[in-house]
Amino acid sequence: MSDANNDIVLEIKDVHKSFDKLEVLKGISMDVKRGEVVAVIGPSGGGKSTLLRCATTLEKVDNGKIVIGGDVLCDGGKYCDKATEKEIRSKFGLVFQNFNLFPHFSVRRNVTEALIHVHKKSKDEANIICDELLLKMDLVEKADAYPCNLSGGQQQRVSIARALATNPEIIFFDEPTSALDPELTKGVLTVIKELAREKMTMVIVTHEMAFARDVADRIVFMDGGVIVEEGPAYELVTNPQQERTKAFLAGY
Amino acid sequence: MDGTNDVLRLLLSTLTQLVQGFGYTLAIFGLTLIFSIPLGLLICKGRMSKIPVISLACRLYISVLRGTPLMLQLLLVYFGPYYVFRVSLGNDYRFIATIIAFSLNYAAYFAEIFRGGIQSMSKGQYEAATVLGFSKSQTYFKIILPQVVKRVLPSVSNEIITLVKDTSLAQVLSVAEMFTKASAAASKQVSVMPFIVAGLFYYAMNLLIEFILNRVEKSMSYYS
Ligand SMILES: Nc1ncnc2c1ncn2[C@@H]1O[C@H](COP(=O)(O)OP(=O)(O)OP(=O)(O)O)[C@@H](O)[C@H]1O
Ligand SMILES: [Mg+2]
Repeated sequence: MSDANNDIVLEIKDVHKSFDKLEVLKGISMDVKRGEVVAVIGPSGGGKSTLLRCATTLEKVDNGKIVIGGDVLCDGGKYCDKATEKEIRSKFGLVFQNFNLFPHFSVRRNVTEALIHVHKKSKDEANIICDELLLKMDLVEKADAYPCNLSGGQQQRVSIARALATNPEIIFFDEPTSALDPELTKGVLTVIKELAREKMTMVIVTHEMAFARDVADRIVFMDGGVIVEEGPAYELVTNPQQERTKAFLAGY
Repeated sequence: MDGTNDVLRLLLSTLTQLVQGFGYTLAIFGLTLIFSIPLGLLICKGRMSKIPVISLACRLYISVLRGTPLMLQLLLVYFGPYYVFRVSLGNDYRFIATIIAFSLNYAAYFAEIFRGGIQSMSKGQYEAATVLGFSKSQTYFKIILPQVVKRVLPSVSNEIITLVKDTSLAQVLSVAEMFTKASAAASKQVSVMPFIVAGLFYYAMNLLIEFILNRVEKSMSYYS
């Protein structure tokens, strides 16, 4: 592997994905460099979530190549073995739109469970990592609370802590603030901004245009299963080149 | 004076007989739960299987066992071996047949309750567990099953309470459980008193079970 490739955390090449007869991804290619923040925007049904789900092993592509942290998840639509898949799953984190926290676990256990039982850390090690993350997420006093007693914004921050706990090389967010009341989105966006400052590699599907413009290095505009336009965040938002991008941004 | 003594003596002998029968009642109750819950889980798994033959077979099983009287099933399990294979399985088989029929029957109900619980879990729970790297069995035993237990507890409680009363059906196989004893005592004494006492036993047992189940339910109410 060449040195140039080492700096690319996520490589997606000509990915195709259909649900029955409906082709949702029609040849998507994108690279994400280490430390880069990429926002994915676009109209509903454009395939943004599907792309994220393919990259995070929740859906299988029909064709194309996905490489995460140097490990090939699939190539030409052919998938790696179970061991590699497990290795790949330890290299990324995923934050869901509706959190998907484990309701029967305390906040602490939500964050530490995978550390202890997947990554084989000791309880003490896991707790130290957890405390650090909760401090960062402004949730220190919630360590022993259960998700049902937290606000949506707090729950989403717990799920970000859970995704960060295993120290992934890249984190995917699928509309992290869409399920939240407007006044609760701020805390979550602040946390993500902070991660961007720390050079965490992130791919964020979002409808928050101002946030994408200010936080992302690069924006990818997806529509109808293809990438219509991509470029530096500020330029793409303020001076889009494609008609479809212009039309979409005019709605904000 | 003599009259009250007679009544007391009668009550005492009734009590002794019912207590003897109560052992069998407890045994039918306990053994049925021990066998029918795992069997129910297995049938539930089969019912949700992607292999059509297995799923169909489990569906048929559930449908037939829930759709026919338990009393009929008891008689079939007991007399079946004799009429089909011409084998006589001895007197102990009465009790064994009772446990078999009860377990098969209750497993069908439990299977459907478990299926409802498992299918009510959101896909997101599986997906969150998958991307965190949990194995299939870790996901099942750590994430899914504990939540399913909480969800199915009210329905399972219902079945448990029904089972206490259903044990009386073992009378058709002349198993010496409490209801059989009560019937015998009632016809001998020409009195309903043994039935009333038996009724009190069943009710007391269910009161205790209700109390325990409420405690269990409370212990899981720390989340919703
Ligand atoms: N599991 C599925 N089965 C069938 N069709 C699906 C499935 N998942 C997604 N689709 C379809 O794929 C298309 C793209 O969906 P996707 O969720 O990726 O869009 P999106 O860009 O994330 O939209 P939104 O902004 O509304 O979240 C839609 O037409 C959707 O109906
Ligand atoms: Mg989506």
